[in-house]
Amino acid sequence: MMMLARQTLLRISLVAALALVLVMAEGLQSDNRVSAQDVHVTGPLAGAPSVMNQRLWREMRLHVEPFFAFTIADEYSRSLIVGGELRFHFLDWLGIGGWGGYSVATLDTNLTKEIRDKGVTTNANRLDLPSREGYPNQVGRLNWWSGVELHFVPFRGKLAMFQKIFVDADIDVFVGAAFVGVEERADVTGQPSPGNVTYCDQVGDGCLPSQDARAKRTAIAPSFGIAFNAFFKEFVGLAFRWRGIPFKYNTSGTDNNRDGQINSDDRLRQFNNMFSVGVIFTLPPKIKTTD
Amino acid sequence: MAAFWLTPPLAVQAQMEFSLDEVDEEEATPAKKKQENQGDLIEELAAGEDTASDGPVEPEPQREEIAEEIYAVQQIYALRLKRFEMAPSVAFTLNDPYLKRYGLGFAMNYWFTNVLALGVNFNWYDWCGQRAGCNPLDRGTDIVPRIQNQFRLGVPVNDWQFGLWVNFTYVPFYGKFKVRKKIFQWDAYLIGGVGLMRTQPIPVFDPEVRSFDWNTNVAFNVGAGLRIFLTRYLTFFTEFRAYMWPDKFENDRVAPGPGRTDSATWLQSGSTFVANTSIQIGITLFLPIKFEYRLPK
Repeated sequence: MMMLARQTLLRISLVAALALVLVMAEGLQSDNRVSAQDVHVTGPLAGAPSVMNQRLWREMRLHVEPFFAFTIADEYSRSLIVGGELRFHFLDWLGIGGWGGYSVATLDTNLTKEIRDKGVTTNANRLDLPSREGYPNQVGRLNWWSGVELHFVPFRGKLAMFQKIFVDADIDVFVGAAFVGVEERADVTGQPSPGNVTYCDQVGDGCLPSQDARAKRTAIAPSFGIAFNAFFKEFVGLAFRWRGIPFKYNTSGTDNNRDGQINSDDRLRQFNNMFSVGVIFTLPPKIKTTD
Repeated sequence: MAAFWLTPPLAVQAQMEFSLDEVDEEEATPAKKKQENQGDLIEELAAGEDTASDGPVEPEPQREEIAEEIYAVQQIYALRLKRFEMAPSVAFTLNDPYLKRYGLGFAMNYWFTNVLALGVNFNWYDWCGQRAGCNPLDRGTDIVPRIQNQFRLGVPVNDWQFGLWVNFTYVPFYGKFKVRKKIFQWDAYLIGGVGLMRTQPIPVFDPEVRSFDWNTNVAFNVGAGLRIFLTRYLTFFTEFRAYMWPDKFENDRVAPGPGRTDSATWLQSGSTFVANTSIQIGITLFLPIKFEYRLPK
């Protein structure tokens, strides 16, 4: 019960993207029918910009953001990630950046533990589960992460916390490409026939050596996400970030297409996503303001 | 979020103003600060004090010279104080890998201060009923047959009927953001409460013999949400909720002999802690639709 259903997450992402498009489209319309707070100013402030003395948190500044992240929606193994992000913003609402992280630890899900404790091996599934005790060794894992992304900041504002603390905040939407270090179960063929497997490489091995054999590759995938950022001082802020990176890999280390062998054809699409918390340091530390 | 709370408020507060003018203003004379406190309508309203019942306020006699600058403070766009909130929504369960679950929700709150409400919420998961295509197992994800075929494991699954909770809601954050020339007010809230959850094991391991009734479980929930005001009485909201309860699942072992028909052997001996994390999306309607600001003289 602790894993996220990827189809549900994908559906929610689509709904969120649709809502974002609707909000932005509404904001771009010249017809002012939106009945949110519409400020009609008369008097000396008529014609003045909507925000005066606006602090430019991003324009021509470098953001350095060390972060801690964890993956969600994993079927068999979660990753705890430590990494960093570097962004440069040409405008207050547009920037480019790169990020990278390393999975400092992996956590098996409850499903993996259930299989380890209760899985049953027969000739019909020997290729999928050579031994239940060694099952955690065959699941796919994601070892390192990196990517380049374009950042848009369509929303900014301020918020009050407990009516005592006031901070500037914005929402950062980003899209780009990610490079992920994937570790999967190595290719292997069940013998003598699919559905009646007694060995894999050598007669009598029971496919046990193949359970620990690993193959590594780099997966290239689209990445996108959204972040909420709050700025406490001129050069320090906090970022809460969600990032989605969909790509295929063999999460369970099993023969998913039932062809009697484990290979690249057994990779299943996964909506890999992570949540991260980072501390933003900005350079130069001195902030500019508008008129 | 922990870093938010760990940051010393006093150290932060000096950096939290939004314009340079406001920063300069903080360094003004004590007499000026006293004047600001008396006129800070936002703080008074947001603090939930019942200015409506207090009636007009007589200004205190002026004892010191006041600064000549007058700072205009914008009113809170929409007050929650003493209003009812009706909130229909849909709920998507995030963390069940075996069944897709969708709920229809309705919540009702009464705001007895501007930041604190008491209310109930109801989530109906069994809305499809017994019609064709409404079998819960038809909503199974593709991981269920994979687990059965590849690991020879059965998956005990419970169906959900509905949940009903009594909740407190607290609004620690509020703010506004700009989309071109529009300014939208928003707030973020924390919610939590206790209630009940009705569930029923789906017979998987011995469906020819076993059948189960709906069980009522004591449940509690916590969550956080975001509300964006579209008008002064209509908002869009989305919230993350974790509904938790101890649940009984079907026993994956079938007792031999006459014990097979003994219903006492059909359930697992212990309870399993279930945490249903879900996203709810909906709208809220504040009643009465109109409200009045009560301004001090």
